[in-house]
Amino acid sequence: MSEWVRVCAADDIDDEDLIRFDHDDRTYAVYRTEKGYFATDGLCTHEDQHLEEGLVTGMVIECPLHGGRFDIPSGKALSAPVCLDLKTYAVRLEGDQLYIEL
Amino acid sequence: MTGFVATNAASSGVKIDKKQLKAIARRSDRPGIVYLVQWGLSLGATATLVWLALDTWWLWPAMFLHGVFLTVPSYSFSHETAHGTAFRTRWLNEVVFWLTSLLYMEEPLRRRYTHTNHHTYTWHTNKDSQMPFDTPMDFKGWLIEVSGLALLRFHASHLPKLACGRYSDVVRSVTPESELAKMTRNARIFLAVYGAIAGLIIADVTWPLWFLVLPRLLGGPVMMLFTLIQHVEMQEDSPSILESTRSFKTTWLGRFLYMNMNNHVEHHLYPQVPFYGLEALGEAVADQLPDPDPGVIRTNVEVLSVVIRRSLGMSTKAATIRQAPHMITEGGFERVAQRSVR
Ligand code: FES
Repeated sequence: MSEWVRVCAADDIDDEDLIRFDHDDRTYAVYRTEKGYFATDGLCTHEDQHLEEGLVTGMVIECPLHGGRFDIPSGKALSAPVCLDLKTYAVRLEGDQLYIEL
Repeated sequence: MTGFVATNAASSGVKIDKKQLKAIARRSDRPGIVYLVQWGLSLGATATLVWLALDTWWLWPAMFLHGVFLTVPSYSFSHETAHGTAFRTRWLNEVVFWLTSLLYMEEPLRRRYTHTNHHTYTWHTNKDSQMPFDTPMDFKGWLIEVSGLALLRFHASHLPKLACGRYSDVVRSVTPESELAKMTRNARIFLAVYGAIAGLIIADVTWPLWFLVLPRLLGGPVMMLFTLIQHVEMQEDSPSILESTRSFKTTWLGRFLYMNMNNHVEHHLYPQVPFYGLEALGEAVADQLPDPDPGVIRTNVEVLSVVIRRSLGMSTKAATIRQAPHMITEGGFERVAQRSVR
């Protein structure tokens, strides 16, 4: 059964950026974009590199290790060397706090 | 990758403020387009020299000069576009990647995936698929490397294999299954293009020989002198890029030909930084990095002196360039790594 888990205050994430969020032995990436907040798995699907040091440009996150790119809202792998999509999670803003559905 | 931390800034203990890194790594089309135009203009100028020198003794020096401008940037540009950092616009990046790989003569996807592996396991024996020579290097290894013979042999053999759908263990280990068929398609197109050029020459159309084939061969050793010093004499199997990799000083011309990859430590620390951001990155983390080695020529002269002395059983201490401790001996050496580009 899914649950809503608090991540952080919305302002803790800079514009066009992401933070790492660890919960129950799993790691996630939570993004602030021009179109709102989103969440995906934290590890790149290419080689398990964490995306936290990656670059957010518009709605795309680029992996810091080899530059693989994912569409943030859908998690879709956009360009080599990534071929597998990222899993995405619903995000809710309650007051000034962010929650993700796990 | 279980249990292994990829070789980059984190594994090397180097830090930079994330906002500053983002600003340095910001993508733009402009620097790549400016570079493309400058490269095109220089190729136009050197090709004109070749044309003026046809039927004279000056043809060979002119082809050499043209070859340097053809070969070194084709390597540098195909490397930068393999990273996807040359342009903000993705299709532009991929078109230039494809065309420069054609000039460099390596199937683009093989180039991209073995290079991602080179960044994950930089200079790690039996893991890094882009170790181009045995280490420590001796004079024979230097000759084979700098003449371009080893690379030429690799280029001549990998395309027919890929075209026939034969994938080496290295290729299979670094490439997603879904990309293998594209590699085969690309290799067939590359062979068809090279075959067409060969056909023209056989049919007595000589311009591809003077403007493309011979310059590409003549420029090869200069390209190798740049790439050789990225890791030669450095530490194998280290998590730290500061130990495995060398940055070196160079002139504006060297920076142009090599697309700032003389900041090679910086590139391996933060591969997401485009070529036009490497100088700023170098300044931002300068206090955490060793000083760069002297210029391309000086560094290469010292490397050559070391490898000759190693082959003669003499002391291998270089005058000024950085060397891993085990590279410095008073005679004799033990092989650490075997060439993995195959
Ligand atoms: S680990 Fe993310 S692109 Fe390679």
